[in-house]
Amino acid sequence: MTKLKSIAIIDDDPITVFGVKRMLNTLNVSENIKSYANGKEAIDDFKRIINHKEEIPEVIFLDINMPIMDGWQFLEEFIALPITNKIRINILTSSIDPADRENWRYYITRTHHIIDYKNKPIQKKEIEKITRAA
Amino acid sequence: MDNRITLVRNYGIMLRETQTFSNDYLIKQLPVSTAFVDKKFNIIHASDKWITDFDFSNRDVIGMSLFELFKDISKSWKKELNSVIKGQAMISGVENFFDSQNNEKWFEWVNVPWYDAQENIIGVIIQTKDISDTIFDDVKLEKLEVLFKDKSKISKIGGWEYDAVKDKLTWCKITKKLHEVPEDFEPDVEIGINFYKEGYSRNTIAMAVDNAMTKGVTWNETLQLITAKGKEISVITTGKPVFKNEKFLGLIGTFQDITDEVLNKAKTEEQERIFSSIFNSSYQFTAILDTEGTFLEINETALQFSDLKQEDIINKKFWDAYWWPIPDMVKEGLKQVITAAAQGEFMRNEIVVLDKNKQPIPVDFSLKPIYNEEGSVVSLLAEGRMIKEMVEARQKLKISEQKFRSLYELSPIAYILSDFETGEILDFNSSFEQATAYGKGDMENLRYADLVPDSSKHKLINFLKEVDLKGTYGPFEHKFCKKDGTTYPVLISGSLVGNKKGRKLLWSTAQDISEVKKKEKQIREEQKLLKTLIDNLPLNVYIKDLESRKVLVNKSELIYCGFKEEAEVLGKNDFDFYDETSASISREEDLNVMNSLNPILGKETISVKKDGGLTKFMTSKIPLIGPDGKANGLIGISMDISDLKQQEQELRDLINVTSIQNKQLINFAHIVSHNLRSHTANFSMLLEFLVDEKDANEQANLIKMLTEASDNLLDTLDNLNEVVAISTNLNLDKKPVNLYEKIEAAEKNLAAFLKKNNAKIINKIPDETYIKVIPAYIDSILMNFITNAVKYKDDSRDPVIKLTVSNNEKYTILSIEDNGLGIDLNKYGKKLFGMYKTFHDNSDARGIGLYITKNQIEAMNGKVMACSEVGKGTTFNIYFNDKT
Repeated sequence: MTKLKSIAIIDDDPITVFGVKRMLNTLNVSENIKSYANGKEAIDDFKRIINHKEEIPEVIFLDINMPIMDGWQFLEEFIALPITNKIRINILTSSIDPADRENWRYYITRTHHIIDYKNKPIQKKEIEKITRAA
Repeated sequence: MDNRITLVRNYGIMLRETQTFSNDYLIKQLPVSTAFVDKKFNIIHASDKWITDFDFSNRDVIGMSLFELFKDISKSWKKELNSVIKGQAMISGVENFFDSQNNEKWFEWVNVPWYDAQENIIGVIIQTKDISDTIFDDVKLEKLEVLFKDKSKISKIGGWEYDAVKDKLTWCKITKKLHEVPEDFEPDVEIGINFYKEGYSRNTIAMAVDNAMTKGVTWNETLQLITAKGKEISVITTGKPVFKNEKFLGLIGTFQDITDEVLNKAKTEEQERIFSSIFNSSYQFTAILDTEGTFLEINETALQFSDLKQEDIINKKFWDAYWWPIPDMVKEGLKQVITAAAQGEFMRNEIVVLDKNKQPIPVDFSLKPIYNEEGSVVSLLAEGRMIKEMVEARQKLKISEQKFRSLYELSPIAYILSDFETGEILDFNSSFEQATAYGKGDMENLRYADLVPDSSKHKLINFLKEVDLKGTYGPFEHKFCKKDGTTYPVLISGSLVGNKKGRKLLWSTAQDISEVKKKEKQIREEQKLLKTLIDNLPLNVYIKDLESRKVLVNKSELIYCGFKEEAEVLGKNDFDFYDETSASISREEDLNVMNSLNPILGKETISVKKDGGLTKFMTSKIPLIGPDGKANGLIGISMDISDLKQQEQELRDLINVTSIQNKQLINFAHIVSHNLRSHTANFSMLLEFLVDEKDANEQANLIKMLTEASDNLLDTLDNLNEVVAISTNLNLDKKPVNLYEKIEAAEKNLAAFLKKNNAKIINKIPDETYIKVIPAYIDSILMNFITNAVKYKDDSRDPVIKLTVSNNEKYTILSIEDNGLGIDLNKYGKKLFGMYKTFHDNSDARGIGLYITKNQIEAMNGKVMACSEVGKGTTFNIYFNDKT
């Protein structure tokens, strides 16, 4: 099983970040796990990565409700980035607002990236599935 | 005439014998008028006698042309002269001319050729003989003869003569007298003919004259003349043409007035004619009987009636005529009647006879004796007048009188016949009795004036005058008194009639109009009711004419137009009340409605009055359709819906607010669910880790995280409680609070925090500013904004917070201005006041403060707005509702 080059977790909740990281480490899918406290931090870093012609994380865990730049605002900017690879983006939220699901479907239609939608808490099995498929 | 021919012959012989004359001297002395003319008709020789005869004594005729001398020489003579020159032996004739004294001269003449010694014709020898005297003697002789032919009434016979040559008509004195013209009157033929009466007389005389002139026929006619004075007379007119040598010389004739004879004769004829026409054409049957009862004469009428001929009746006995219905019974009676009449008795009776169809006909029969000069009865005049028509007319009269009677009695209109002078009531019908309760028994003491109530007696005098003047009066409304003294309204009219005795009677009709009056009153009441109804409708009602001028307005409309009296509004149009735009729209609507006949129903319109006042109406315009099917105006009904519209708007606003709030609630529910779920998710995840964790350090770490999560959850719950508290404490009382003092207090409470951050507060609020708020909320709101302003300060400068206040109609507006980081409202504006929204990298930002603040402000019916510029600062405007 080939390891993923890098994984990004974008979430303002440190417990979630801790949890996801811990599960990824247990599964040992990647040596390179980055975390960002909000969308802005992430998008700024991704822009830097592109500039340096480095590789964008193949899997992204994305929270929606975050300060400064929320998940949707991040997505909006992300899909505009010149990334040819199909990045697997997993929206991870505790929201059950139908508006959020609609938003997700909307973004699916607008990008070649693969966007998935999961409610918190995420199970280890699911993370395994996500990372293996990549 | 024979004489004349002989004469001419003699001259001819003589002339032939004298072929040439050697000496002019001899010719001069010739006893016969002789002239010698050459081939060119110039006179070569002329005897003295010729010169004298033709009255040329004072002229030198020798060498002159014959045609120059006789200018009016006839063509035939010229021709004859020519033929003589060509060798014709001799031509003779009679000619006339007028001499220098204009006397008529008649000549016999002979022309013979003039030969020279060699028998060559060198000219014409003309011989003439003056025969004027002979001719006139002849004419006179005949005239006398005519005059004496008719012997009687010599004085009335006038003579006349017509000279055809002079074209002159001469009337003698008697003739002029007969024509009633003055003695110097000069007639001519046309005038003479025109005196005859137009028609037969004039035609006859014109033809007679023509025949006399052309054919030589004499006339003798009895004709009518109309004299110059216009009197018609009868005359015997005679005329006779006069010829000499077959030449028409003229006419002579006589007039004889026979008017009297004609008149006498006419008179007798006329009398006979009149008598017979009366006798025969009379509508009466007339017969003349002798004293024995034998028919002598019977007229046409009687013959036609009985379809008999004169000979069937004449010489028969009167009683034997077939027309008697029962001959045997009648015969003896008739004989007696005739005997009585023959003795001088005049008989008259109505009888029945049979006509030719054996139909009985009523006849008024009379028998009258006719006396002779000696006084004895010579014959009897029997006359019968058909009285069938009269009998029938009598019958008809009876029927029509019956009809009139029943009409009179059954008519619902009261008829009263009264004596115009005395006022006595002579008759009235049953309708009158019913209406007034008077009976026939009251008639004697009743006077016309009794019918008129005292209050209108003066009117009675007026209409009596009117009747006397015009013969009729009315109809006009009046009142009649009943027998019991009460009155009732009537429509009376009447006319004056005269009876045979010259008494003036007044026929009056009186129609009871109580019902009509009652109905009128009812209509008036209904109108009043309708008017009241229209006036009190909470609607503006008006009627407009074709020019959109108001012809009726109700009270509401009147008040709306700003007037008190209807008259002030009537005749005006919308341009007098509204601004140009409103009025034009309204006029267009009016025209549409009236042209298309389609009403406008319940249309929302806006009318702007001249003073700018705006009213929203629910307007209906309905065409008023005239009898010709075209609109002659419209009725308008408007309801002022300004308030309704206002309420509708408020309701709509309320719905908007409610739906926003609803959305907020749903949003809130999602937030709550999200927050609670995120904590429980963390719990669940951490607990799962803990279960599998063997490492004691890691376990301790997980438990620490669980504790943190638990604290977070409690925090969240506290926040939620706070929000829920605001939402559930809507009924907390608002109190006036001094804003200045509240800010001072907040400043004091935050003194340490402010000092630590080096922050400065500029309180520009006037110290008498009061706002109506929930005191606990205002504390929280002020604390929140001030701490926020400091928290999100720009690190490059010390925070300065400025508080000012302003007012508008509804709100007191508190402005809190800081010089902090500012916020990109384009990005975050929508979320600024959202729950758990943070916008800065600030670890103690909870994303709950502004959310709660906003909720508190809104709970007090206020609102909050922000404006900000990144890097410069933010201003929050808090609207405190002073009213509610």
